[in-house]
Amino acid sequence: MVHVEIAAERLFSLGPLIVTNSMVGALLASAILLLAGSWFARHASVVPTRAGSLMELPIEFLAGIVRGTGGRRWREFAPLIFAIFLFVLVANWLSLLPGVGTIGLAEEIDGKQIIVPFVRAGAADLNFTLGLALISFVSFIAFGLRANGVRGYLKELLIAEPAYMTPLLTPIHLISEFSRLISLSMRLFGNVFAGEVLLATMLALTTATLFMLPLAFVIPGVFIVLELLFGLVQALVFALLSMTYITLAIAEHRQHAHADHPGEAPGQAATPIEGAA
Amino acid sequence: MPDLPGSGQRNDPAGPSRKPPIPPANWGLAFDLGLRLGVAVIMGVGLGALVDNWLHTSPIFILIGTGLGFGAAMYTIWEVAREGMR
Repeated sequence: MVHVEIAAERLFSLGPLIVTNSMVGALLASAILLLAGSWFARHASVVPTRAGSLMELPIEFLAGIVRGTGGRRWREFAPLIFAIFLFVLVANWLSLLPGVGTIGLAEEIDGKQIIVPFVRAGAADLNFTLGLALISFVSFIAFGLRANGVRGYLKELLIAEPAYMTPLLTPIHLISEFSRLISLSMRLFGNVFAGEVLLATMLALTTATLFMLPLAFVIPGVFIVLELLFGLVQALVFALLSMTYITLAIAEHRQHAHADHPGEAPGQAATPIEGAA
Repeated sequence: MPDLPGSGQRNDPAGPSRKPPIPPANWGLAFDLGLRLGVAVIMGVGLGALVDNWLHTSPIFILIGTGLGFGAAMYTIWEVAREGMR
């Protein structure tokens, strides 16, 4: 019987804090990244080792994209984008390891015996994705505020051009801004949760009868490979969208600065990049 | 790093206006657009329904919210198109 709970299952409580299996998944992903990061920091060298190259590969891949499209101030937000990408990627791929989502405590709910797994994919819980989306949302607002100033940012957000259109355009602008938060969180949650359901369904279908049992070694494997790809794509999309929103918030400032000083080239209005070679 | 896009464009003979054919960041925007259109309409309808429920004015605000949601969806398309044309 296929059983995939949409909400993360409670494992135990620490005082008022309820620890769920998706929290364990997210903490494991954080621990893996922290250990890998500290190992990499200790063993970093000009000529990287084979393991070092493996660590550098995703960073270099994303750095190329951020450097190419993130504008002049890409170094300011690049660490945040890398962190989001690696965290979502590790959390997604962690869920494909054997035992994750399958080993747990047997519990009886409504007369049916189900397994409450010890570890569940972090992003298969809306709390995780909403938390990450909030970080991204607050970051692009903070970058917008830093680039425009509080007055400039509020003017950009709340006052339309021409001014008599403000009562109509301000609610539209606000809905559009907040739709970013919801679309970011829902997309990641929907994709990862759907992946979990798909894998559970395929496993249940192939193990339903003895005749189908040999397929249980093949068909779920195909979907696991697909989930590897989807995990990468979703991590990339989340990170790239966060970067695009931040770039847009800073670019609006450049546009206004250029409009205020028409004799100045657009690029000169932005703060020069720090530490660029 | 002699060829840093965004910082080392003075070394690029084609000048700062040269762009890669499909900037990878736009992949994210393409993924985002479809969902954001739906989310904007749902948010408009949902907010309208909440206000109607609060003020007992159904269906006035749900209609206004639907219009604003569609407006926000169109605004999102315009915003993405403007960014693409920049």
